[in-house]
Amino acid sequence: MYLALRELRAARGRFLLMGSVVMLVAALVGIVSGFTAGLGNDTVSALRALPATHLVFSADAKSDQFNRSLVGADVLDAWRAEPGVEAAPLGVAITRGTTNRGVEIDLAAFGVEPGSFVAPDPDSGQPVGTTPGGIVVSRKLADKGVHVGDMLTIDRLGTAVRVDGITGSASYGHVPAAYVPLDVWTRLRFGIPGADPNATLPRQFSAVAVRASGSAALPIDRLDAAKGTHTISRGASFAAAPGYSGERVTMNSIQVFLYLIAPLVVGAFFAVWTVQRGPELALLRAMGASRPRLLWITAVQAAIVVAAGAVAGGAVAAGVGLLLGSAVPFSLPPLTLVATLGGVAALGLAGTAITLRRVTAPDPLTMLGAHR
Amino acid sequence: MSLVLSDVTVTLGRGDTRTTVFAGLDAAFAPGHLTALAGPSGSGKSTLLAVAGALLRPDRGSVVLGDRDLAALSDAERARERREHIGYMFQSGNLLSALTSVEQLLAAAYIAGHKPSRLKKRAAEALEEVGLGQRLRHRPDQLSGGERQRVALARALFLGPELLLIDEPTAAVDRGQAAMLVEVIAERARAQGCVAVVATHDPVVIAAADEVVNPAGERVSV
Repeated sequence: MYLALRELRAARGRFLLMGSVVMLVAALVGIVSGFTAGLGNDTVSALRALPATHLVFSADAKSDQFNRSLVGADVLDAWRAEPGVEAAPLGVAITRGTTNRGVEIDLAAFGVEPGSFVAPDPDSGQPVGTTPGGIVVSRKLADKGVHVGDMLTIDRLGTAVRVDGITGSASYGHVPAAYVPLDVWTRLRFGIPGADPNATLPRQFSAVAVRASGSAALPIDRLDAAKGTHTISRGASFAAAPGYSGERVTMNSIQVFLYLIAPLVVGAFFAVWTVQRGPELALLRAMGASRPRLLWITAVQAAIVVAAGAVAGGAVAAGVGLLLGSAVPFSLPPLTLVATLGGVAALGLAGTAITLRRVTAPDPLTMLGAHR
Repeated sequence: MSLVLSDVTVTLGRGDTRTTVFAGLDAAFAPGHLTALAGPSGSGKSTLLAVAGALLRPDRGSVVLGDRDLAALSDAERARERREHIGYMFQSGNLLSALTSVEQLLAAAYIAGHKPSRLKKRAAEALEEVGLGQRLRHRPDQLSGGERQRVALARALFLGPELLLIDEPTAAVDRGQAAMLVEVIAERARAQGCVAVVATHDPVVIAAADEVVNPAGERVSV
């Protein structure tokens, strides 16, 4: 530590610059992680909150299933008949509306059967369908000014529903979720402006939410073949949410590049630093410094610079989260932040490790006159 | 503790550039006085220092310091000998640019496994002994050439080495500083009671030495 700290002190300008670069990389990784998680939540948190193990779509819907799939009551009945399986209809549609107090909102309408396992428990107010057509809205809509007891008129058909309750901050496709009774959802999805409001509408929905009891895996392929459906796990259904896959690929690519940059930048710095120190490393070797001690000195310097840079970068990322978290989708829990910064630090140190061989390379004989 | 080289053969280079510097060299150096290793450039002075100081292993022969044959030691063991029993003072580039004068000495202690914080006072005293009491907190770029060499001398002697090896100490200092430096070297080397060998072709240094040998190990009359 003795020499490592004194060299750091003497070359503090260079190490500060290096630490600043590590800080910026760490801050960027942290911020991108926050946006990745935040955007992910904004896209699929309503799906993540579904207490279902699988979602059953129509057989022809292989992608973008929530838009493309329509399944009928026969499919629902067939899945309900399976032993060890709970099944409930689920409709998904993005729409918009205005409350009686003039608050304009977009909402992802999740059609659910009141009392079914996919109907959410409200944090405040009453469950879905407590009043005729009563809905439960996401906390995000409450934050926009929608309150229990408000009347919401949903566009296109002018369907009026009462806000019965408020539940967690769920959203779908960057739109706050609202859980509506299935018959209301059917009107939103299939109703035609100007048509007879009493006309019979098809009994169809986007998917059947399935909850398998017990630990045994469902024989999905066999069941799909028998029922003419396409079933995927709840986790796999995230890819069907609008924009989710594209966002993940984009944000993860940025993170991967940042993770690649970290070791290269730190490694390049210590490679140059080691070359600059060559004559002094030769002197230390001549004085009897062992190779492990020289490696230790450099490793300590790298660890201090990388750790300090990563911690400072983490503070910047957390600060950005605090400043922007309420305005943009940003989620950076402490554990994620620590893991992210740990990754940056580990890769930065790995970059240094590449240069360590050079630390012990200087020949102590070069200190003597005949070899200078 | 004496230094005895017996039947030492050193060959440097490879292929066409292969050169035998010493073939069966015998030399002995006694403790307590300063020996000048004199000879023209290229005569092998620095190579002899390298062999004697465990920086270079000879192809053949023994290099016995006290009761240890340095030629028979591994790389790691020779590094240990250097940090614990041998003091070096090189022609130039002796000092670590990041450290103050006191820290140069403490760095040597750190390398040898001592706790630097416990030796601060002793380091300051060692620097005072070479006339640098007012330069304790100066860095190498704040010292003159002669002062830098005196710091290097104080560092070489700081841990009480059995062997002090000095390579062309006056090569990078002016004449006035050279005389002062040589006086300090001779005084400290004798006071320390170690085997002290200085490679030089500077008449000032040769005049200050107790004896003079050539790189063949033969006593030379001056």
